Amino acid sequence: MTHEICTASNQLEMLHQLFASATHDASAAMCRWTNGLITLSLDEVREIPLQDVCCEVDVGDELLTMVVLCLEGEVGGEMILTFDNHNGRQLAAALLGQDAGTSPEWSDLEKSALTETGNILGCAYMNALTRLINVELVPSAPYFIQDYGASVLQQALMNQAMTSDQALICRTGFHRQGEELNWRVFFVPTEPMRGAMEKALSSASLKHLKTTTGSSQQKDRVPEDKNDGELWSNAP
Amino acid sequence: MVFSTVLKTKTDKHVGMGQIALGCGPTHLTAVLGSCVAVALHGAKQEIGVLGHVILAHSSGRNSPPGKFADTAIPEMLRMMDNANVPRGEIVARLAGGANIFGRSGPLQIGDANIEAVTQLLKDVGIPVKAQDVGGSKGRRVSLDCQTGSLTIEMAGNPARVL
Repeated sequence: MTHEICTASNQLEMLHQLFASATHDASAAMCRWTNGLITLSLDEVREIPLQDVCCEVDVGDELLTMVVLCLEGEVGGEMILTFDNHNGRQLAAALLGQDAGTSPEWSDLEKSALTETGNILGCAYMNALTRLINVELVPSAPYFIQDYGASVLQQALMNQAMTSDQALICRTGFHRQGEELNWRVFFVPTEPMRGAMEKALSSASLKHLKTTTGSSQQKDRVPEDKNDGELWSNAP
Repeated sequence: MVFSTVLKTKTDKHVGMGQIALGCGPTHLTAVLGSCVAVALHGAKQEIGVLGHVILAHSSGRNSPPGKFADTAIPEMLRMMDNANVPRGEIVARLAGGANIFGRSGPLQIGDANIEAVTQLLKDVGIPVKAQDVGGSKGRRVSLDCQTGSLTIEMAGNPARVL
């Protein structure tokens, strides 16, 4: 029993290293997209009993604005970018170089700004994961949803729920010039994806991650990368 | 898109994925649903309600919490009502959930399978389904009033509906 706990703990630690590396790439992409203003940090990679998921990862039962990317195919999963309404509109406004919208309905342009943000983040994540686990991942087009965060997260967990009473979730946070933002990215792998990740982790090719990305005991904060000339006010 | 927040009472109890909870009197049992189905059983005279948050249709013999699968949740919920001295003939059911939020097509439609399994299981044990709000592509937030048996359903962008 103790051995099993140690093994599970070690696997989570290694998965943390893998996601930290992918987050690093996604943060660099986000930094370029927002002209150095926004960076990402890996909050946690956890296994949580299904009944506790929504409370534990703090999506609650409020309505959120989300962009979802699905990884098609057996080795798949879902990536969910979440904002509260206010923060989502702030980001869209900043990207579009205009004041935040106030009408109840989001404009097509606002939706497009957030969807493109999800696309940039998702592609950076998926490219990194593809490289790390050596399996080709095919993301769907991102789509915009306004719904209960818990409802969307639950739907993403269905594949895992078919074989386990625990959910493996990777949660990433955002920062604007050091200040934590109320935005999150959740990545929920399917069981085959988890298997592919663990297989890759067991190979020597990923051992270097442990020495390059630090310990999961601290947040893997990614330094800002201001090497890109894109303007914060650029429309997507 | 209208963002609304329902005021919570002190007697709200959240029912997570795969959980079953029993309440009485002024208790409200709440859940947030995607493809999962909320099964609400109620005994009007006793003012007792049970809410099950069913994730999948069939257990196929797996040893999981009983609320996770429809075929283990319904018997467990009925056992809880029996223990609370609610006669089987006085129990009515209300259902909500079973959405397909990601709009996937294909043979495996979890929401539809959940609705079908729960409906058949309730029919097999003779529990009438008084009302239901199921399917579609939106999540739901539900609240069972254990006193009245009413099931309030909220969906993004829509006014609350009471079953």
